[in-house]
Amino acid sequence: MHAYRDQYAQLFNDGQDVILIAISADPIDTLAAWARDDQFQYVMASDADTEVGRMYGALAGRAGLTNRNLFVVGPDGKIAYRAVPFREVDPTAYEELGAALDAIVR
Amino acid sequence: MRMLITAALALTLGPALAAQPAAAQEPSPPLEVGATAPDFTIPGATRYGVLKEPIKLSDFSGKTVVLAFFFRARTRG
Repeated sequence: MHAYRDQYAQLFNDGQDVILIAISADPIDTLAAWARDDQFQYVMASDADTEVGRMYGALAGRAGLTNRNLFVVGPDGKIAYRAVPFREVDPTAYEELGAALDAIVR
Repeated sequence: MRMLITAALALTLGPALAAQPAAAQEPSPPLEVGATAPDFTIPGATRYGVLKEPIKLSDFSGKTVVLAFFFRARTRG
């Protein structure tokens, strides 16, 4: 989450044309408090019953949690890119994501 | 006699004890590139608070949306 925040301008074009939605099964109040405390510029969403995780194939091995899969939905409503899982500690993961977004948006 | 009772208990309780816990999930494979992204409507929040209207994926039609799932709030995942 913090890398998304710190690279938000260059990676997500500062929210122009690219919408980042970070999703977990946490309650929405928990996510709102975290977003406020750590000043995330993007939207957090609560998949409390993990139904969205189930539809996308993003359930964790443990019950009631989503995993770290990432999907880019293009303007045509189809999956344009995916990172399964997104390797958040690996800089190349962000480079690949940035390149994929560039190809779609610019 | 006791063996009969034990056997009867095992027969009735056995299936219940062997059943999958309600919370167990069968993870399905992640959606492939090219698949249609399923629509959803879930509560959203920003650093300014909980959003009044839920987040609906189809509201962003025509835009590029990054859906970044993660494990749990306030952890590295």
